[in-house]
Amino acid sequence: MMDVVSYLYETFSSNMMDIPLIAPIVDFLTKIPLINFIVALILWKPFFAVIIMPGLGVMTLYLLYIVWYERKLTARVQWRVGPLEVARPIRGAIQTLADGIRYFFQEAIVHREAHRPYYVQLPILAFIPVLLPIMFIPAGSAVGIYTPYSIQLTVTFIALIPITIVAIGWASNSRFAYIGSVREAFMYFAYEVPFIIAVISMIFLYSSGDAYVAVEKQSAIPGALLNPIAFVVYIIAMLMATSRLPFEIPEADQEIAFGPFVEYSGILFGLVMVLAYEKLYIMTLLFTILFLGGWSGPYCPLLGDLNGPLWMFIKTIVVISILVIVRSIYARYRLDQALRIGWTSMLALSIAALVVGGVIGVWLS
Amino acid sequence: MEYVLDIPVEPPRELRSLFIPIPPEYVEDTYKSDDFLVLVGPQHPGSGHMRLIVRIKGDIIQEVIPDPGYVHRSMEKIAENRLYIQNIPLVERPAIMDAPNFNLGYVRAIEEALDIEVPERAKYIRTMLAELGRIGTHLYDAAILAVFIGHTTGFMYPFGLRELICEALVRLTGARFTSSFIIPGGVRRNADESTLKWIYDMTLAMERRLKSFERIFVNNPTVIARLQDVGVLSREEAIKYGVVGPFLRASGVEYDVRKIEPYEVYDELVWDMPVSDAGDGYARFLVRVNEIGQSLSIIRQCIKEMPEGRVISDQIAENGKDIRGSFYDSLSNIVLPPGEFTTLTEGARGTIVFSIVSDGESNVPYRLRIVSPGWLYLRGFMESLRGERLADLQAIYGSFGYFPPEADR
Repeated sequence: MMDVVSYLYETFSSNMMDIPLIAPIVDFLTKIPLINFIVALILWKPFFAVIIMPGLGVMTLYLLYIVWYERKLTARVQWRVGPLEVARPIRGAIQTLADGIRYFFQEAIVHREAHRPYYVQLPILAFIPVLLPIMFIPAGSAVGIYTPYSIQLTVTFIALIPITIVAIGWASNSRFAYIGSVREAFMYFAYEVPFIIAVISMIFLYSSGDAYVAVEKQSAIPGALLNPIAFVVYIIAMLMATSRLPFEIPEADQEIAFGPFVEYSGILFGLVMVLAYEKLYIMTLLFTILFLGGWSGPYCPLLGDLNGPLWMFIKTIVVISILVIVRSIYARYRLDQALRIGWTSMLALSIAALVVGGVIGVWLS
Repeated sequence: MEYVLDIPVEPPRELRSLFIPIPPEYVEDTYKSDDFLVLVGPQHPGSGHMRLIVRIKGDIIQEVIPDPGYVHRSMEKIAENRLYIQNIPLVERPAIMDAPNFNLGYVRAIEEALDIEVPERAKYIRTMLAELGRIGTHLYDAAILAVFIGHTTGFMYPFGLRELICEALVRLTGARFTSSFIIPGGVRRNADESTLKWIYDMTLAMERRLKSFERIFVNNPTVIARLQDVGVLSREEAIKYGVVGPFLRASGVEYDVRKIEPYEVYDELVWDMPVSDAGDGYARFLVRVNEIGQSLSIIRQCIKEMPEGRVISDQIAENGKDIRGSFYDSLSNIVLPPGEFTTLTEGARGTIVFSIVSDGESNVPYRLRIVSPGWLYLRGFMESLRGERLADLQAIYGSFGYFPPEADR
């Protein structure tokens, strides 16, 4: 037993995040038995990348921030104040937390027509394809599982998310949920093909699916300038994939009353509501790596290994904060109009991006 | 290419348990012919206080059967048990944003029966009130249209602008809407100079702020994509289905009661009738946006040209310049001569018909008939949905500005 523990401790402590800022505290804590094991686990690079940053921990923080920020920004554009009453001194910043607690204590109703097992477990199952890509997205030296195919793997898991949403609509077994599921399936095909071609064009450009190679090749010029067409296609595909306006078609409240999620209530609704935000986070992490130089940024010696994850997180948050303004600018397209955009102009643009990616890839190498 | 799957489909049981106004054979026929019935409303975010029974094939609407009446308040019956002046607050209730126009139509019917001559200043104030109500209603409908197509900023801007209208009505009449300010013989109170000055400045401020609304919503490419060529009513169809108001003018028919049979001071003022030939959702919206500009201009002209003088006819209040203090004494016992008195008024959403039948001896109406514009264009609204997509249901609904309480009365 002790052998196993000491072997694990050795494994963890041999590959720890080196952060000079908190080094004295870490040194002090490693002298205490049992605590040292926990500290070593938390600072173990794969664990840190997946659970702390840019993984689960900061994703929760991001969810609390972005829902509040989106409401506040929209309110500012619309001559309103926005959430304020929960924690007035910090301008209602913990509104999302309050909503989450409310969801938690609300009754989660399962209606008679629903397929009960799937209806209850699918919101939780939907987290699997959301969380799996984080294993392969590196941030500096912190990486869950290193593989030279990290970009391809991330795209693969992102492509799995809509399947769970369609299944949620099917398990709900109601009219509007059914229409919403069909719309989600249509949208899925419309954005997925240009999205994957845009990513392939960037893989051509860097001649590798390895995130480290991609970031290294962007040391002089960021990918957004190397292939601006893929950049545009990726942004539009991101808006489509995460049901942002003007492509908020599968969950159009006024038409089909939140589409596949119409029947959910309580904490189950809380879980499915944040799915789109989590998808946005994952896609923006990939976006940062492909187009904005990933984790590269001014190096602060005090932070050591934390530099990479921190820069990546900051870039992601900035990109998302800019993206959410579309909610207050655009109306919703109709399904056929969105499909036409996806299958004609976006597909054509993505193929042009493929050509550009190939040409510049040859020039770079 | 159509694939026919021979699967027996049972109509869902709620179609039998809900009291929907279609025969069971229609439901059977729908499900046998591979169609689908979607009940939109009355608890749907995009239906208002009514139910729409939508028969769709794939994504295309085949037919829409309305099920109105959820907010029917039997106003015509209630009116038969009240004094003529007690009916004034009642008839405003169908469309509270458009209260001055409803008020005006009813009061004019009484005045026509009693041959009351309204003083000039009161006519100007009434015209101004009616136009304020029209702008408020158009802004309200624009907001509902915006939120129906998912544009939340387009929802908030008009509601913010409408506060200016409400403030003007508060300063003029004392209430945000449903002010019951127009009474037989004139208006309740005189308007002082500072109020008129404030309203004049308000129209200029509103014109400036409407520009930002136009930038973000009216000229927005996604809005144009959603509304253009959607729910088209041609000139012939619009006349055939009896569409009224701005929706008739959007189909290219130049008909406005204010021009055809001018009442109050509309014939003394200079204004255009916005007309469009397209007949689609965007034209219906644009006509109303242009009407807001015309109404602002009418209000400014009213304030500039308003003469001095009494605001209540000397037939009603012999001594004293206004009705305050002698309201009930002067007006409670008016008895109309026997006969039927009908007026046409151009409300914000279209022609309002008021018809009072009097027996000549009682101080309550024998019969009061109200035909509101919503009820008149409901048929055209349903016909324009035919052949459009399910997602267009809300866009067309918003482009008509259909308001169930107004139609149900």
